[in-house]
Amino acid sequence: MATVASNQRGTGSRLKTWWTILKISLEERFVYRGDFALGTLMRFLPIITQVFLWYAIFAASGKEKIEAYTANGVVAYYMLTMISRAFSSMPGLCSGIALQVRDGEIKKYLIQPIDLLGFLLLTRIAHKLCYYVIALIPFTFVFFLCRGFFENGWPEASVLCAYFLSLIMGFLLGFFMEASLGLVSFWFLEVTSLAFVYNLLNFFLSGHMFPLDLLPDWAAQFINLLPFQYLAYYPAAIFQGTIEPNQVWQGMALEACWLMAFIMIARIMLNRGIHRYSGFGG
Amino acid sequence: MTGYRPSYLNVFLTFARNSLVRDMSFRANFILQCISTISWTVMNIGFYLIVFQYTDSIGKETGWGRNEFFVFLATTWIINSLVQTFFMPNAQQFSELIRSGNLDFALLKPIDTQFVISFPRVDWAALSNLFVGFTLLCYSLYQLTTKAENPLIIDWRSILMYPFYIGCGTVIMYSVMITLAATSVWLGRNQTLYNFWFYITNFSRYPMEIYKVGWGMALWVFFTFIIPVLLVVNIPARIMARPLNTMNSQMWQLAGFAILATVACLMISRRIFVRALKSYRSASS
Amino acid sequence: MPMALIELHNLQKTYRVYQKKEGLRASVKGLFKRTYKDVHAVKGIDLQVDQGEFVAFLGPNGAGKTTTLKLLSGVIHPTAGTASVMGHTPWQRENDYRRRFALVMGQKNQLWWDLPAQESFRLHQQIYGIETQQFNNTLDELTDLLGLRELLSQPVRELSLGERMKMELTAALLHRPEVLFLDEPTIGLDVIAQHNIQQFLKYYQQKRGITILLTSHYMKDVAALCKRVVIIADGRIQYDGSLSGIIDETTNRKLVTLQFADPITLQLLKSLERFGTIVQDEAPRVTLEVTRDDVPAMLTAILDAHDIDDLIVEEPPLEQVIADVFTRVTKSSLDARAENGDC
Repeated sequence: MATVASNQRGTGSRLKTWWTILKISLEERFVYRGDFALGTLMRFLPIITQVFLWYAIFAASGKEKIEAYTANGVVAYYMLTMISRAFSSMPGLCSGIALQVRDGEIKKYLIQPIDLLGFLLLTRIAHKLCYYVIALIPFTFVFFLCRGFFENGWPEASVLCAYFLSLIMGFLLGFFMEASLGLVSFWFLEVTSLAFVYNLLNFFLSGHMFPLDLLPDWAAQFINLLPFQYLAYYPAAIFQGTIEPNQVWQGMALEACWLMAFIMIARIMLNRGIHRYSGFGG
Repeated sequence: MTGYRPSYLNVFLTFARNSLVRDMSFRANFILQCISTISWTVMNIGFYLIVFQYTDSIGKETGWGRNEFFVFLATTWIINSLVQTFFMPNAQQFSELIRSGNLDFALLKPIDTQFVISFPRVDWAALSNLFVGFTLLCYSLYQLTTKAENPLIIDWRSILMYPFYIGCGTVIMYSVMITLAATSVWLGRNQTLYNFWFYITNFSRYPMEIYKVGWGMALWVFFTFIIPVLLVVNIPARIMARPLNTMNSQMWQLAGFAILATVACLMISRRIFVRALKSYRSASS
Repeated sequence: MPMALIELHNLQKTYRVYQKKEGLRASVKGLFKRTYKDVHAVKGIDLQVDQGEFVAFLGPNGAGKTTTLKLLSGVIHPTAGTASVMGHTPWQRENDYRRRFALVMGQKNQLWWDLPAQESFRLHQQIYGIETQQFNNTLDELTDLLGLRELLSQPVRELSLGERMKMELTAALLHRPEVLFLDEPTIGLDVIAQHNIQQFLKYYQQKRGITILLTSHYMKDVAALCKRVVIIADGRIQYDGSLSGIIDETTNRKLVTLQFADPITLQLLKSLERFGTIVQDEAPRVTLEVTRDDVPAMLTAILDAHDIDDLIVEEPPLEQVIADVFTRVTKSSLDARAENGDC
């Protein structure tokens, strides 16, 4: 197993290896500047249509509030889910793993003293860090411009802490969920449609499409038990105070359980997958 | 042998056939893809069912009540499925060809390069959305024509114009897409292509009336006249969902403009495509 | 004099390449301001090829061989110069021209990965507008020659590298091109597959009288197939002529192996050194590298002084000669650059 090899060396040299990987992927990201600039800019476009759609809905309904949200509140919600998604979305992770398995590039990880999941996680962190560095400016700009939508202003410090924690956990949960999905490719070559189903559920059940509170109660109760809500809805709801502060930790505990579960699932799948792969002789 | 021109139709049919053979060799995947495509649509319908629990129409006095809006939604899905079946996989493939240098092979073929790049893959699974769209269209039209108060009477001119404008809309979408794909020549890797496409076409998914408030007018102008994606769904949906005699003169003018926009988009995208090829050919190694 | 089938005059190609710098800070800078460098891939090539010739392009990596083939197939535009292939200017990409040649690249594949090769072939038939009768005849002939008949209905992804290459060749020959460009067609193949492809190309070229330009790293390909060799290095033609001529023209050395009847003493070896360098000393044989003009004088002197059992005079091995040409060129161009202060 690859990890064993790296464990034998000192922690120092291992850290150095990881740092090099991190640096290389950072550099790689910066080279593709066109991709970057476009990607960041485009992320704000869907919000605009959402603003107009929801104002049209509120205007026609004649109501001040729909469930817990005012028209401004809904817009603020969508903006907050964009932050959540900036942490939890993992573009290209699943398909990347599948491609590596399919092309046999996965062999690299059997030969080199590198752990696949660790490597991917680091590249992903590098990717995200780069993204934040570049996206911070437009994000701040847009949020400043749209501060009027946030009618309640900043939440308390403790709520903010919970918010950031939920973002970090959202990142990890998103990573391990999608990595597990990608590892399915050891068994089924074409995982694209599986990934599509995942994205579909994710979009709908994470609250990216609309605030989950709008759902009928029976559906909301069920969805609250699933891991998806932590990828978009949950952090936003903490920030907006839709969830009672004393109930926040309950949800976070459930999130931690899901996270542990998916870390284990990904690990087991990787081990089994590699075993199966080397059994076939690639 | 010289003087023989390939039959573009035959080549296209071979493309379609080969894609079908490929899809059928991954049958489980194909079925899964159909199911997921359909469930995506159903989820969307679900979202609007939730929305219509809180309101009677999208926008005040716009005429887009529940069933009218579902005609709109059906039109969106019909056009979308056509684009995703015939163009989407190819646009993505195009970026990949540029990246890998395999575009060389397309350039060698004695056939129009844009054609050979725009059509080789047909994503048959995406066509399943066409049926969902059509079913939703029939259902909501049935609801509209049989409602007790003020039932819709479908004009034969609507039935003629509807497919025509769906065609126009599809061509506009294709032009936007091939233009986006061609940019990967200059921007290198273009993973964001799909996102970009999604974000731009996102504007086309709602009735144009919702933009006509405040600074939304600027958006309306931009996405009607500069990148005319607002016309794509709005024109055919408007023609089908509501009586023609309630269309005001501005709407008729826009319908006329849509034809012009279709031709213009196609021509401009062709030019950009040719330029991109030129850049590729002076840069590839 | 009739015009040659392929004519190149002062063909040049310069790429503008984005220069990626080392380090994170430089990468961030690269976001805003980019520096470019001109790479002269082809610096001026003049070449004439007649119909029915089988020409090999040799040269180190990055010498401009592939670029030249791409220019000839119209995939890229030249920076300067002219080219004519069968009367067409390649980069105008007329359909009439594109129907008359084919390009095969050993590193890339154009067949549909997930489909049996015959489906891709049928697509070729449609695109090139080949009549069914002719298509079937050509396909039968090629599959028989290459031994592919059983593999036609297998998805391409399941084929071995050699089989896939044969399929690529078949695809390229379906429309019976008059000119064929082959870029490293045997790269990565095992010896048997290489040999099969060589045999096939040789047979097919002679039978159809087509013109073939080939680049390869394998001297065996070249020795087996091409009478004419063009050595390209540093974007220019360094040698153009017969394979055996390379040795005459580029090296004036011979290898002389002597088998002595007497035991070889240190003194004897010393006395030999004035004729040339000793490259091998395995008693009773000694091999010397000697300037060609000195060979007669040396032989007279040695045959006078010693008993010789056996004597071989031979050319240095081809690989070595060509490697020498490459290094000489690279060195002289480096020198030139250093003089200009380019480095």
